[in-house]
Amino acid sequence: MKNLSLLLVLFSVSYVFAQPNCDAYKYYGDTLKYEACKKAMEKKGYYQFSKEYQTVLDESLKIDPTFDYAYWAKSIAYLKSGDFVTWKKLIDKAVEYKPIDHLGYRGWCRYQFFRDYKGAIADIEKLDSLVDYDIGQSQNGTYHLNIAKGLCYKAIGEKEKAIKIIETQIKRNEEENFVGAYDYLHLGILYLEMKRFENAIEFFKKQSEANDLAENQYYSALAYLNLNKSTEYKSCLEKAKKLYVIGKKMSDTYSNPMDKIYLEDIENEIKTAYNKS
Amino acid sequence: MKKLLITISFLLLILSSCQSDKKNKPTQEYLRWVGDIEQNDQIDKPEFKVCNGDDKILQYFNVGEGPVYEGEKSTILNTFKSKYKPLSDKEQNGFVRIRFIVNCNGKAGRFRVLQSDYNYQEFNFDERIITQLLDITKGIENWHIIYEREIAFDYYMYFIFKITDGQLTEILP
Repeated sequence: MKNLSLLLVLFSVSYVFAQPNCDAYKYYGDTLKYEACKKAMEKKGYYQFSKEYQTVLDESLKIDPTFDYAYWAKSIAYLKSGDFVTWKKLIDKAVEYKPIDHLGYRGWCRYQFFRDYKGAIADIEKLDSLVDYDIGQSQNGTYHLNIAKGLCYKAIGEKEKAIKIIETQIKRNEEENFVGAYDYLHLGILYLEMKRFENAIEFFKKQSEANDLAENQYYSALAYLNLNKSTEYKSCLEKAKKLYVIGKKMSDTYSNPMDKIYLEDIENEIKTAYNKS
Repeated sequence: MKKLLITISFLLLILSSCQSDKKNKPTQEYLRWVGDIEQNDQIDKPEFKVCNGDDKILQYFNVGEGPVYEGEKSTILNTFKSKYKPLSDKEQNGFVRIRFIVNCNGKAGRFRVLQSDYNYQEFNFDERIITQLLDITKGIENWHIIYEREIAFDYYMYFIFKITDGQLTEILP
């Protein structure tokens, strides 16, 4: 029972997706961090961007300038407002004081908000080197961090490496029945770009069964075009347009996801398709 | 002469008290929200007005639709692709953010620029890059109008440009 309590306390100090358990600091005798934590919790009810929220966290940091959580919480509004300079200063502090809790988050944000591919890879790989457990999902839950890392390798031109990383992670995700919303699609597009058209179609079909999207049909069409299957090429484009119009397309609250297409892309391809015949 | 000395002493006193005031001020002073932009008559066009007051300006993502552009992002990408003239300069690398307000009529104003290198350290790009990015952004006539419960609201929007060797490589979000 005592061990269970200890385990619970240990677990509760980690708070990437949750509020910290201030009592855990007290349990360990870190009264300064306990006080800083109690102060930080006064932000409850205030918007992340607000003066009140930021001020409470400043006061928390006055109590304990090594309280990583307060730096992390402060950084969010700067991230979302696109202030990369202030965000980076704050999140670097959080990483400095608790690297295991914040490296994955910083890496993901570097990708999601700033398309800083090399920085994201460095953070995710650093985290991987520090822990012997699964490094987990991106903050928004869309990808396993290894899939995000694979996408970053693709973006810097290392496509074969990206394919290997994403293939491996998809296998693990399938074993755990936890495949990401766009995983198959991204892998299919990588195969398409490497001219492995049959592989591409295999994964687009998987994506279609799991979560069909305009992008999935659009890239399927391009794969069929390369295989000289014009009937499938055209029907996929039509399906792509229908899905796009009803909103079945890639999306993200803050940015435009990698491999996203626009209605204009589909319509231009449809024009090309019918000009060919 | 005596009068002049008194005046100078008085001015010095005011000046020193101003300085100490500055020293005693908290290091960080916040506006209503992080990233808020106040009207500055020196640089902002007076004809640009927000519709619902500065204290009601939201963020582009507050309604959860993601970044939305008039004519989709492809229109924005095409605009910059056709208008931006790259500089061939290996020293020009990093991020440029242009943040601004879109009002309830889909018009933009109060543009502000933030620049850094790829290590997130503040950096000043060649003015020809910044001027172009600003002019092209200001030249976009219509922005998406966002409604919440059928009321059009004012919101903050931004572009982040990635510049590599003077070339415009990506536009976010």
